Amino acid sequence: MYLYLPVALTSINILVPVGLGLAVGLLSGLFGVGGGFLMTPLLIMFGIPSTVAAATDSNQIVAASTSGTYAHWKVGNVDFKMGLYLLAGGFLGGIVGVQAIKLLHAMGNADFVIKMTYVLMLGIVGVYMFIESLQSMKKKKASVDEKAGKEKESAVGRFLKSLPLQTRFEKSGITHSVFVPIVLGAFVGVLAAIMGVGGGFLMVPIMVYMLRMPMHVVVGTSLFQILFTCIEVTFLQAYTNHSVDFILAVLLLLGSTIGAQVGAVFGRKLKADQLKILLAGIVLAVTVKIIFELTLTPSLLISQAGGH
Amino acid sequence: MKKMRVRIADWGIAMITALAFIFILVFTGSASAMLTARANHDHITIDFFYHGSTVSVRGESDPNVDLVIKITAPEEHQVLKQKGKVGGLLWMNVGQLKFEHTPNFYAVYSTRKLDEMLDREEMEKYVIGYPALEKHVSVTPAANEEEKTKWFNEFVKFKEASNVYVSSFGKISTVARADGRQEYSILTDWPYQAAPGDYLVTVYAVNNGKVVEQAEAKVNVEQAGLVKTLSTMAKNSAALYGILSIGIALGAGFGVGLVFRKGGGSH
Repeated sequence: MYLYLPVALTSINILVPVGLGLAVGLLSGLFGVGGGFLMTPLLIMFGIPSTVAAATDSNQIVAASTSGTYAHWKVGNVDFKMGLYLLAGGFLGGIVGVQAIKLLHAMGNADFVIKMTYVLMLGIVGVYMFIESLQSMKKKKASVDEKAGKEKESAVGRFLKSLPLQTRFEKSGITHSVFVPIVLGAFVGVLAAIMGVGGGFLMVPIMVYMLRMPMHVVVGTSLFQILFTCIEVTFLQAYTNHSVDFILAVLLLLGSTIGAQVGAVFGRKLKADQLKILLAGIVLAVTVKIIFELTLTPSLLISQAGGH
Repeated sequence: MKKMRVRIADWGIAMITALAFIFILVFTGSASAMLTARANHDHITIDFFYHGSTVSVRGESDPNVDLVIKITAPEEHQVLKQKGKVGGLLWMNVGQLKFEHTPNFYAVYSTRKLDEMLDREEMEKYVIGYPALEKHVSVTPAANEEEKTKWFNEFVKFKEASNVYVSSFGKISTVARADGRQEYSILTDWPYQAAPGDYLVTVYAVNNGKVVEQAEAKVNVEQAGLVKTLSTMAKNSAALYGILSIGIALGAGFGVGLVFRKGGGSH
């Protein structure tokens, strides 16, 4: 059955967005990512204009991450305190990132910088997570997270400990200066704004490797953080660009809210390393796909310009 | 008396001649538009379940003429992203291209191949066919004609990919009538990608490479019901629309979360 989308001005088979929502929602509940890096290009592939695809996806992520956060919160896997600090940092980073984009556009090579940042970030994160989780799986240590934490108690660790305003994050069982999550959140915020993505695929590894949070808490906390980021983005996109398609969002969230619940349940059955290596695999697959897109001659040499 | 009668008769003849002349003038005035055009389904409403439509154009023409049916949207200026190679290796957006005087919808149907039935000057005069449209539009930046042709062709490819540009021949069917006239008709698929608005249908009768007559009809595409309400709201009450979208998403997220708890999906 086909439905007409009033803002995208196109018609779509309802099975497409519901199916895509289900698949991406599953990943969201499993790994704590928004999945925008998968969903937006898929929607464009199905004929949705790029601006509408990005804006509507953020609206859909609000639903999926609410569903996912709720599922993880029920089993005590959301560190609200950490989430709020990261959010504060991310908010500041977003403001800086938007200015950086303006500067890049003024300099005239924005697209090159954006694409390169994206490929490099995806590539580095994917490779690092893949190798790290492969190694720790080989070692077959039961408490990988804590052990790895002790191993790296080096100069960086001592520096982090020396920072003022140390505070305890009960849920994650870690102690950090409040500046650590704020600065890291800001870093992700800057990059996410430049790349035009939610940044879940950066936030998750940062929480795992730099904040040393347990993987299952990472997923819940990341979703909590993404929820607020996407509320803000959805509002701005609707208000300034008029590019949120309500009907498309509803179709997507029909699938994604259920997918997120299934993902959260399924994730609890997997070990932290299995989750990490799966996420690494997906991130690497997306990297390879983007590299192909960049090097193969496109079938169309012109495309819709964003935002009119 | 006789003279008088003659005069009256003369007057009578003069009057009749004049009337006949006027009659002929009026008659030929309408009769010169022998070509007629009428579109049915000329009012297409886009509702929730809209997935494109069909438009049929039919009418009468002189026999032995070729026909061209052109459907266009009003001309506008369009800005599109241009892809190019960076460093001889990577494809990415390298800038923007402005296309002026381009309709967002352009469909041309003809009884035969355009090249075989129409002179080039006539095609350009009436903007019939892609080569004529290319002459008509301006593309910036384009350093020379070669570059303009390249980007215009890409533009057509892009538009054809979303079904809003069509050029084909042989789909118009014609039937000779007993009174020597000819009836023509075509049934075209109307793509769902065509935006709401007014579309102009122009039918050209072609003889010896020249356009000899033309007739017009209109097709109007309009949103209705919930589709109209939502798209108007997205534009005119953007803040409310944004809040509503977020509210629904939050509600759906929580709702599904609750359902799953009740269903015993967790723990």
